[in-house]
Amino acid sequence: MTVGGVIAYRALFNWTRPSIFIGTLLVGPLFQLLFFAYLGRQLQVADDRFYIVGNAVLSATLACVFGGTLAVGNERRYGTLGHVLLSPRSRTALFLGRALPYAGNGLLIAAFTLSASALMLGLRIPLSALPGLMLAMATGSLACSFFGLTLGALGLRLRDVWVISNVAVALLMLLTGVNVPKAGLPGWMVAIGNYLPITHAAEAARRFAAGSDFATAAPELAREALIGLGYAVLAAALLKIFELESRRTASLETL
Amino acid sequence: MGNEYAIEADQLRRTYRGRTGWLRPKKTEVDAVRGVSFTVRRGELFGLLGPNGAGKTTTIKMLNTLLIPTSGTARVGGHDVVKQTREVRRRIGYVFGGDRGLYERLSALDNLRYFAELYGVAPREQKRRIAELLDLVGLAGRERERVEGYSRGMRQRLHIARGLLHAPDVLFLDEPSIGVDPVAARELRRTVADLAASGTTVLLTTHYMVEADELCDRIAVIADGQIQALGTPAELRHRADGRRVVEVEAYGVPDSAVAALRELPGVRETAVEERGALQLLTVQSDAHVDVQGEVLRELAGVRLGRVSSREPTLEDAYVAIVNAA
Repeated sequence: MTVGGVIAYRALFNWTRPSIFIGTLLVGPLFQLLFFAYLGRQLQVADDRFYIVGNAVLSATLACVFGGTLAVGNERRYGTLGHVLLSPRSRTALFLGRALPYAGNGLLIAAFTLSASALMLGLRIPLSALPGLMLAMATGSLACSFFGLTLGALGLRLRDVWVISNVAVALLMLLTGVNVPKAGLPGWMVAIGNYLPITHAAEAARRFAAGSDFATAAPELAREALIGLGYAVLAAALLKIFELESRRTASLETL
Repeated sequence: MGNEYAIEADQLRRTYRGRTGWLRPKKTEVDAVRGVSFTVRRGELFGLLGPNGAGKTTTIKMLNTLLIPTSGTARVGGHDVVKQTREVRRRIGYVFGGDRGLYERLSALDNLRYFAELYGVAPREQKRRIAELLDLVGLAGRERERVEGYSRGMRQRLHIARGLLHAPDVLFLDEPSIGVDPVAARELRRTVADLAASGTTVLLTTHYMVEADELCDRIAVIADGQIQALGTPAELRHRADGRRVVEVEAYGVPDSAVAALRELPGVRETAVEERGALQLLTVQSDAHVDVQGEVLRELAGVRLGRVSSREPTLEDAYVAIVNAA
């Protein structure tokens, strides 16, 4: 599952070239973080820690959401989807295995964004908070990868799933409470945000960064993990349903 | 139907249903395959021939589990293609022609490693199996190059290696030599013949009669979603017994002239093959009628090249069968 996932990552992820990886996945999110941090300072909405920690967790979304979408969408592009669907192996293991490299990728990006922005903006994070922060970022990245895979599964049915992925990334920025404190959002937006990945991971990370112990952050981490699990189940179900439908109605141009 | 058969298709039918328009949607139905039945013995190399849109690929997709038949049944290796998909998939390989179907950014080696994972080849066997197949298809030494730099012939050979990774009992080859140059096509034919000789059952679809004639034990000609003829290449050639063929190389034959040729006494079939600026006009007639003079008279004013008369081939029989459908 892992070996296949890693090879699939190299085969299907569009942004593996160093220049694109650095520019799109490392530098881009860092500037986005700086934008919101300086905006926050200007408007005095929240302190630097709020923006740095939240945006660091959020920075994984680009790799994870688009990674999940590419994991299915590019199979159609390369004409390999039919060969994948002809595999006798479990679809659930096969596709969920693909989420793991994207989660690892997301964690790497989040860790870089946190380190670089903390250095640039002078935020001091206690060493004791680092394991908890890493755990929060890893949980958020994994949940976000399964969310991306759910969108990827929609790509079996919708030709232009990229539109949905683009909207999803923008919605994550708005609804997860990373850049706008939840108190400033309408209730329905908060309610939606509670069922999206990153929301609870960002909250847990903020608690760790503020020096809270594991027990204080654990409920948020558990919620994030539960949401990730929910998206994993949803992705697996959608992939199964759409595959069955494609055999019945020839809805996929599989080959 | 017993265990001697690797493939059994019984009255397979597939209807594609679609919908067009938004405001006033109209339902459309296309019968791509209409009651196809045939059997393929274990170790047999079976050809499925037919024009574009005849139903060849749809038939293969039903046999390899990618499509569920609208009605009818099929078994591969004794397993039902609808209810026992996993068992069927373990036993089949699928190779299709063209540039797509490979991961461009990966090397051939990584493509094979990945598909070996997908098809459940045991990790300790993968290295040996991949090396064997690279040797078999003549890509040893080039396996670390990215596929995006491969020629079409090399891609096609890699497709075959991919299809054989899990040593399938049955191999579906869907127009494997399409767009491949003659030398590479000959190598492909040799590889396919070797596979069949080693006991692999092969179901081959192709447009190339030479390929079918050279390779296949038996051939089914499919047109309009139905099997029109089934037999050995020699048996199918007999369909054109009692005929003669006049071939004329011409430039700019008008449709009206072709239509006039069809009306000549004794003429049974006409076909025009475009070869760049050149058109190869084939006229089949009853053997006892010499139509060459009449044909040339009808083509008066058209620039002509070589004109010849010959015995009918499998291709002529194929044209006769398809035109009669």
